Amino acid sequence: MSTTTNTAVGAPQVAPTGPSSPGTTIKSKHRTRFRGAAWFMAPSILLTFIFVYGFIGFSAWISLSKWRRPTRSDLGLRTPFGATYAEMFGEQRFQASMRNIIVFTILFLLVSVIGGLLLALMVHRVTIAKGLFRSVFLLPYALSFIVTGVAFRWIFNPTTGINTWLKAIGIDNPPGWSTSTQILGGIKVPGLAAELGIPLALLPIVIAAAWQLTGFAMAMYLAGLSGIPEEELEASSMDGANGFQQLRHIVLPQLWPTTVTCLVLLLHTSLKIFDLVVAMSGSGPGFVTDVPGIYVYDMMGRANRYDKGTAASIVLLITACIFVVPYLARSYRNERKH
Amino acid sequence: MSVSLKKAGVAAAAALALTLSACGGAGQSSSSSAPSGESTGELTGTLEVFSWWTSGSEADALKVFEDAFTKAAPGVTYKNAAVSGGGGSNARTVLATRLQAGNPPDSWQLHPDKDLASAVEDGSVADVTALYQQNGWEAKMPESLKKMLQVDGKYYAVPTNAHRGNVLWTNPDVLKKAGVSWTDSTTIDQFITDLPTVKSKGGVDPICLGAKDPFAPAQLLEVIIMANVGADGWNQLMTGQLAFDDAKVTKAVEQFKTVLDYTNSDASVQSWDQAALNMANGKCGATLMGDWAFGEMTNKGKKDGTDFGHVTFPGTSELFDFVGDAFAIPAENAPNPAAEQVWLTQLLTPEAQSEFNLKKGSAPVISDADTSNYPAYLKAAAKDFQSKTIISSLAHSEAAPAEFASTYSDAVTSFLGSKDVAAFTKTMADAQKNQLG
Repeated sequence: MSTTTNTAVGAPQVAPTGPSSPGTTIKSKHRTRFRGAAWFMAPSILLTFIFVYGFIGFSAWISLSKWRRPTRSDLGLRTPFGATYAEMFGEQRFQASMRNIIVFTILFLLVSVIGGLLLALMVHRVTIAKGLFRSVFLLPYALSFIVTGVAFRWIFNPTTGINTWLKAIGIDNPPGWSTSTQILGGIKVPGLAAELGIPLALLPIVIAAAWQLTGFAMAMYLAGLSGIPEEELEASSMDGANGFQQLRHIVLPQLWPTTVTCLVLLLHTSLKIFDLVVAMSGSGPGFVTDVPGIYVYDMMGRANRYDKGTAASIVLLITACIFVVPYLARSYRNERKH
Repeated sequence: MSVSLKKAGVAAAAALALTLSACGGAGQSSSSSAPSGESTGELTGTLEVFSWWTSGSEADALKVFEDAFTKAAPGVTYKNAAVSGGGGSNARTVLATRLQAGNPPDSWQLHPDKDLASAVEDGSVADVTALYQQNGWEAKMPESLKKMLQVDGKYYAVPTNAHRGNVLWTNPDVLKKAGVSWTDSTTIDQFITDLPTVKSKGGVDPICLGAKDPFAPAQLLEVIIMANVGADGWNQLMTGQLAFDDAKVTKAVEQFKTVLDYTNSDASVQSWDQAALNMANGKCGATLMGDWAFGEMTNKGKKDGTDFGHVTFPGTSELFDFVGDAFAIPAENAPNPAAEQVWLTQLLTPEAQSEFNLKKGSAPVISDADTSNYPAYLKAAAKDFQSKTIISSLAHSEAAPAEFASTYSDAVTSFLGSKDVAAFTKTMADAQKNQLG
């Protein structure tokens, strides 16, 4: 065992001395190393290009094509160019599901990130049973969205759930939650078939999703918090800073990278949300809880519209890219700087 | 299609069908006309049957066909390739991929009428007219059913069962308390007029609706439209000869809007089976559902006649809103052609039909299947299937191609939110122009 290891380790040490004949510059050595690395990377780069970018490109093509029925692939371009997108954006259903996913994402990110931060600050400070608290808040993360969805469907059932408590404390007309078609702050925009605003029926879904993922945000913030040196806090308190000032000027700025990572990770959960909504309310009356994930599924599986299903997923991809690409670009720049 | 939408998981079932050495193609004609029980022992290999029948009673019923087949062809290994979830849409996705890859199962489930017509247009299903002639099935089937299995005079699928979509399940106690009596001769207008009475005197929501399953409200509107336009009008609607913004259809949508005002407030989070049980438990006066609800209620210990009653939906007593299934075999790359012929033949023997449909809770599709041991409701449904005018269901993607059916389902869901009659009829009239024909 030890001998083989030795030879293996020894080999690369010998190898560089061989070709280091006069004239070999550091640059060319660098290049040889780079070439070696490129060979190692080639298979995964190739696979990524085929199975990620190649298929994204293929999907983009399908979304512009005439392919409707799964059993009849027709890859000829549909005329006029992009007609499927025009058709889709004109639909009440698609407009509603885009409205819903934007509203859902904003509310869900706000609640989970702020909730996660508050929990983390509390758990970080707590002196007894820290492990217990950490686990308790992280437990919902271990459930599947289907389980969460079914449980919250019961909780928000307008006749048997949380409304029985609301009635008990004197609220005679509690909201219909997932069954409601009310759009809070609704504005009708001319030319749009769907009313803009915050669908009341989405709130239970936001609460359910936040319940499940706040613990995840908390765990990330706890990791961030443990990275803040105690000395800085001690020094600041010597200088007379109170708890709020410490939070504002020392803790929060250092947690900023954690917040960004947390937002990006939760964002992708949010944009592709599907199972939770299916379990809780489905598309809802008037599509008040429809999301692009369900739209894509219905178009592909039920309506025999491959073109429209892929068009919707391309829209979803672009939406995700708008947020994720700047983040990746920034972290790449930071890496190069160091 | 008795849908059990409780589980939405995909059971991966697509295993490679064994390639079989063709064992005497001549075995076809002799074996296919063989009565059940007569062994066609010369057949070997595997028979892979693809369906979305995975729930308890559905799987039990499918077993009847399996047993009949293995008895007729003991040398062939039967392979159940059912895929659960999504009311069949998961199965359809898997099937589509397999058909595209040129790897079809030996036989698969589909809906008669336009669903079958799409498959014929794709060239994926084989012509089985010869089987109909050899077995004399035509004489045993209602005229309007036969049309739904044909394209250009040729048969392409073998039907297995007939569910009725236009049944109004009622709660006798609630209706008695309200002093309302609904019979087969009640008109749709009378029904609408009675709803306020049921609410005020019966003291509960007149109608239970489980709109979490989008097909349930779609089916309710469907039967209201049928009651207003009749069988011919319905068929014309499905071909675009009668426009969806016609006055009769508009009136039906208005009536649907009224009915929605008299449904349970939590309709959108209830599934169809919960709605049926709530009705049987006296939480409302009636619910419109296909007769798979009969099995659901009796399985939960509810008694026909005491816990619940049934009438055809007002204004549709002469119609049979057909929700059925059929099996087809591949036109190309058929793995085991001889066994496939035996399989299709076994689906329509009087014995298999009788036993299968008793378990499935549906009506046999041939007239000589024994229904003497059927429950009273099912006996009557089987009789009606042979005598009433059969029209197929749009809510269950039979009466029109999938795209149009899906547009209809989406338009109904939009309507549940907006209650906008004009927007609904315009969406559907536009879809008729763009998607039919």
